[in-house]
Amino acid sequence: MNGDRKPGAEWPLMQEMGITEREIAKRQAFLEFGDEDMRKLAGVDELAQTYADPIIEAFYQHLLSFEEARAFFPNAELVERVKRAQKAYFRRLTQGQYDQAYIEDRLKIGAVHERIGLPVNLYLGMYTFYLRAVAAHFFKAYKDAPERALEAYLSLMKVVFLDIGLAIDTYIYHREQLIRQQQEAMRELPTPVLQVRDRLLILPIVGALESHRARQLTEQLLNSISTTRAKVAILDITGVPIVDSKVANHLLQTVSAARLMGATVILTGLSPSIAQALVALGVDLSPVKTTVDLQSGLEEAERLLGYRLSPVGGETAPM
Amino acid sequence: MPFSIIEAKGLTAVADEVCVRIQSDSDIVLARQQARNLAKELGFSASDLVVIATALSELARNIVQYARCGEIILSRVEHGSRRGFVIIARDQGPGIADIEQAMQDGYSTGGGLGLGLPGTRRLMDEFEITSSVGQGTTVRTTKWVR
Amino acid sequence: MKAPILKNGSYLIASLQAELTDTDLLELQDALVEQVGQFRSRGVILDVTTLDVMDSFATRTLRNIAQAVGLRGAEAVIVGIRPEVALAMVQLGLDLRLSGVQTTLDLEEALAILDHRSQGADRRG
Repeated sequence: MNGDRKPGAEWPLMQEMGITEREIAKRQAFLEFGDEDMRKLAGVDELAQTYADPIIEAFYQHLLSFEEARAFFPNAELVERVKRAQKAYFRRLTQGQYDQAYIEDRLKIGAVHERIGLPVNLYLGMYTFYLRAVAAHFFKAYKDAPERALEAYLSLMKVVFLDIGLAIDTYIYHREQLIRQQQEAMRELPTPVLQVRDRLLILPIVGALESHRARQLTEQLLNSISTTRAKVAILDITGVPIVDSKVANHLLQTVSAARLMGATVILTGLSPSIAQALVALGVDLSPVKTTVDLQSGLEEAERLLGYRLSPVGGETAPM
Repeated sequence: MPFSIIEAKGLTAVADEVCVRIQSDSDIVLARQQARNLAKELGFSASDLVVIATALSELARNIVQYARCGEIILSRVEHGSRRGFVIIARDQGPGIADIEQAMQDGYSTGGGLGLGLPGTRRLMDEFEITSSVGQGTTVRTTKWVR
Repeated sequence: MKAPILKNGSYLIASLQAELTDTDLLELQDALVEQVGQFRSRGVILDVTTLDVMDSFATRTLRNIAQAVGLRGAEAVIVGIRPEVALAMVQLGLDLRLSGVQTTLDLEEALAILDHRSQGADRRG
């Protein structure tokens, strides 16, 4: 069987999260969960079916006694729905056939709980409650053969931990998705183009400048020069943490293109570490006007544009 | 979306391809305009359209200057969800003896003759050139919609 | 000849269109060099506002025009390179070919620069 083939569309969550059959097999091997365990679980299945419901009822009673947890279950309908799913879930633990359908189902349940915002510790707490209750039932049922009880219990623990692994995966996956979406949103934020004087533009750049944003920046700058007939544009990179040679070359190209349009670009806010890094990389920024900060950049720009600032009355007014 | 079929001087269209005969410098202008119009359908940015037209101009001129006659085939390509524009510039001219040297970047010194090839390679996403003395030159280059 | 040349006082203004072929450009070069002598022009404005492509030939020719008319006493200014064209030129390395040639965004700016230069020349001369 082609173990590492990506699961098809019938197992959407497995596919989306990239959990392959081989991955599952690896996890089972690590937990040492095999045919022997499955046999033991099959042996206690009948017993398990009798206590699953009362245990889940008891669990939710316990859970909902905490105000913090009640907040996640605003209506009775939701509670009933989740209880039903949980009962089916725990009954399933001992029914064998730990196949792709089983995994997909586990991922689905984890996803539902993550979506309603249930904290991980509460979700995992459920498993502890269940295992403790089941242990009591096992030892009562096999009080004359405690080793059998223990063996069955250990097998059950293995499959439960396989499930816990999957539950944590869904939580992590959805958090990462959120982070990705936020990063995407940040990427799309355009750089503001500020016209502070006739013919003078300032572009304060904040955040990492990877190629997509750098391209966007260039387009914005050049188009703004065209529409505002700017002669000087200040690119302030105080808020840019890293400038690698790729970004530096991009900035160089932008400056050259602006020059072809008759505009001078002044680069301000180059931190000492970035300046040194660029020198070490051998990037030649000499064709670009740079000043240490925005203020000196502005002064240089005004000089280029022929402005001369002098205070009214020759003195600064008293504050 | 198939390219429209064009019936005009020197142009033939076959399904998704447009072929332009290159024989004179007015053909360079024609080919450039064709490339721009066709690439526009794919949704390239204004910047990329200029890049494509410029690359095409360089390749077409090479044909006129060194081979006197050749053809340019413009087509569209799809790779998964990516769409791209392909330019094939083909001639039966004298060929390039030393491709390595032709692909050397001589632009920093400015003024050199050059075949515009290294620049074209820089502008486009994919670039392939085959040439041998006496057998002509074929350049195939692609730009993907970003 | 395809590209029109207008005379504006002591300046010549040439408008380049997208349909100009290589031959047309060379003809323009000849015409400008000749007319600069004929009219004793001080400046030549090369308007490329409507050009949607500037390839190596066009760039080379513009530079040659600038040098040639420079030798005949006129300063050349290139006007109206579009944002996308400027970027493509830089990516091709063509901007280096134009180093030393004045480039501006619009006609107004070009005339201001040429006037400034002429005044300077008058004062010195």
